[in-house]
Order: sequence, then C-alpha cells, then structure tokens
Amino acid sequence: MSPADSADGGPPARALYSDELEQLRLQVELMGVRVDENLERMRDVLVTGSSAAAEAALAADDEIDAMMVSLTERCYLMLAREAPVASDLRLVVSVVRITGEFERIGDLALRVAKMAPDHHLLTADARCHDVLVVMADDTLDRYRTALRAWATQDVELATSVTRPSCSLELSQEQLTERVLRLEGDGAVPIALRVTTAAKSLDRIADHTVVLGARMRYLLTGDPRHLAAEVR
Amino acid sequence: MPERHSTFHQDLDRIRAEIVRLAAMVTELIPRSTEVLLTADLGAAQAVIEDDDHLDVLSLEIEEHCYQVLALQQPVASDLRSIITAMKLVGEIERSGDLMVNVAKAARRIYDAELDPKLRGLIERMGEEAARLFKLAIDAYAEGNAGLAAALDDLDDRLDEIHADFIQAIFEARHGDGLELQPAVQLALIGRYYERVGDHAVNIGNRVQYMVTGWLPEHAGAARLEARAKQAEHALHFGDESGAPQ
Repeated sequence: MSPADSADGGPPARALYSDELEQLRLQVELMGVRVDENLERMRDVLVTGSSAAAEAALAADDEIDAMMVSLTERCYLMLAREAPVASDLRLVVSVVRITGEFERIGDLALRVAKMAPDHHLLTADARCHDVLVVMADDTLDRYRTALRAWATQDVELATSVTRPSCSLELSQEQLTERVLRLEGDGAVPIALRVTTAAKSLDRIADHTVVLGARMRYLLTGDPRHLAAEVR
Repeated sequence: MPERHSTFHQDLDRIRAEIVRLAAMVTELIPRSTEVLLTADLGAAQAVIEDDDHLDVLSLEIEEHCYQVLALQQPVASDLRSIITAMKLVGEIERSGDLMVNVAKAARRIYDAELDPKLRGLIERMGEEAARLFKLAIDAYAEGNAGLAAALDDLDDRLDEIHADFIQAIFEARHGDGLELQPAVQLALIGRYYERVGDHAVNIGNRVQYMVTGWLPEHAGAARLEARAKQAEHALHFGDESGAPQ
C-alpha cells in the first residue's frame, strides 16, 4: 500500500502523517511556551524573591518534564512506524533534540527560582543584582526570539540567536569584576550565590544558541550549521 | 532480515567507536589545556585551539552517520535509544572540548600573571577531577554501565567543592597577594569551564542511563505530575480534602 492510500477509505495515510508532523511541531511550541512561563517566574524570583513564584515554577517543571517524555516517546513511535526520510526525518530528530534543550532551559530556570530563600544574598550588592536582572532580561529576549523562530520556521530569526550576545558577555565580565571587588566576611557566600545564578543564566543563553543552530539545520538541511553550537 | 540486523549492529558499533574516539580526544585535551595554563605556553595554547577543528569535523561526521542509520535501518526500541543517545552525546562531548579551548584562550589572556601555589594546586586538581569524571562517563557509555552512569552525579560534587575552594582562593589572592582584577576575572571564568565539563559528564551519565534502562531524570517529574492529577481527580469525585487516594 502506498503512503497515499488508506485501507479503510478514511483520510489518505500521507495526509494523516502530515497532520501528525504538524501536531508534533505545535506540541513543541506549546512546551516552549511552558518553559517561557517558567523563565518569567525565574525573573520574578530574581527581582522580588517571591516564594510563590518559586513554588509555581517547581510544579510547572514537572509538567515540562512530562511533555518532554511524551514528545520523545511520540518521536520514537514515528521513527519506528513511519520511517521518515529527508526533511521529515530532520524534523522528528530535531524535535527530540529541541525538546531536550527546552527541558534543560527549564531546569536552569528552576535552579535560579529555587534560590528564593537566598534572595537577600543575591541583592546584598545592588550592582551585582542589577547586572543579574539585565542578564535575565537579555536571556529571556533571546529565548523568545528562538521560540518565535520555531513558531514561524524563520531561518533568519534562528540565525540571529546563534550569534554571540555581546551584551551578555559584557554583563558576565562586569559581574565577575564586581564580585571580585566584594569585601568582608559575607563576600564569599554572596559571590557563590551570585555566580551560581549568573552561571545558570549564561547556560540558558548557551542552550538558546543550540536551539538556533538546530533550527537552522532543520530548515536548511546543511549540517555545517550544527558547528555553530555552543562555543 | 538477520543480515540487515547484523549490518545495523555493525553500524552501531562503528558509531560507538567514533564517539569513544571523540571523547578520548576531549579527555586528552583537559590535561593539555591545564598544562597550557600552568606553564603559560602560548604555542601549546594555539595548538589546543587549532585541534578543536578536528573535534568539530568528527562530531559532524558522527551525527551524519547517525542520520543515515536512522533513515536506512529504521531501528526500534533499545537500538533506537542507542542511536538517539549517540546523537545527544556528540553535543555533550563537543561542548566539553569547546570549554577546554576556552581555558587555552583564557591562558593566553593571563600568560604574564603570577599565580600563587594555592591557585596552581587548585587548577591542577580541577583539571584532574574534570578529566577523571569525563573518562568515567565515557567508560560508562562504552560498557553500557548504568550504575557507573548514575554515580556520576554524586562524583561531580567533588569537582563542585574544589571549584568553591578555587573561588575562595581567588578572593584571598586578590586581597592578600594583590592579584590584579583582570587575571582574577579570567581565573574565575576558567574555574567555571572546568566545572561545566563536570556537568557535561553528569549529562552523559544521564544519557547512558537512558540508553541502558530507558529511564530519564524527567520521568520522575512526569510521575509527580501524574500523581498530582490523580489526587485532584480523587478529591473531585470523593470530596476528600486531603486528596490522598486510598
């Protein structure tokens, strides 16, 4: 039987397969939105120390995990049942990779959100705290660009997130300089908390670069784009 | 069909061997980058940076090979998990190599800075620990050893502790021995690069566990979500405020 036929007179198998691929794409977008919401909660914790936002992030992370497990299983089923090739194969494998990146970004957002009880250490040095918030904003912007690239399948947008972020690099250097200027007995605990938060934000940005590289590969089929993954 | 199965397993063995080779190149890069940093050898730093191109090329070759196998052999179940794991490991290994290149680049920026013995000792220990973790992670992959893979998370705590000591030592050197701000910043970044290699080793461990057992850390979160949904449903039906199913 050709993929275009259907044994029971229902919709052609090819049409069902296309619908399934489209559904997969939309489910990934939905997972991306859930991660976006947790990034927003992470920012809230960073700015206000809200324990309610931290708890909400914790619960939402389980939902993100469940989406990842379900999407991974669905991709495996499609790989086994439909034996996709060419761009369809790239899509299914890209979904496995991209949902993995989303899940990691969610974990890193949660790591920052869990720092709510240490908020006084994150805000102990006003300059450090300012830079952390700027980094969180930059990271969120880049993530949202990546999400838009996925929703619109826009190669230009995908390319834009693979470029190194000068402002994030600058923030990182400013923060490290500032941390090393801290003095007094409390300097080390403050430095460790601030650098832990900054490290998570930096890694979220790294994963966003991988998202961009994966999408470029998906859209163009050119494996050289994968070399643009994290430097 | 048996012939096709045998070809598939030959392909899988080849991919596994390629991944182990890629990982060996990175494992070797860790002490080399540490040596570059401690000896301020600019020539060796350049060699480390150039060698990254070989890692990139091999990574792309492995990934392409995985795509071919997926398209031509249509693996299922554990075979499919093995291929997907291989594709994910490539990224983890390649990024670890990039981090060691970052160490070599940072070494060039601070080649004329005097590092006190405590800082040097901690750099050496971070390098050793990162290399040990990375090697264990790849051993776990090559042997399909889920127990070793699961232990990596706890083993990584040691590298995290050395990293925390390193940050403290940078502070002491800043305020005691007058370490300049710029080298101190670079050292703090270098500490993070080693620590991240440890994190990649833990990620590799998680992927290996998945390959061997089908278990993902995310399964725990998914199970919690399901339990909460069941509790809510139970409370809705039976008006049980505690929501605990009997």
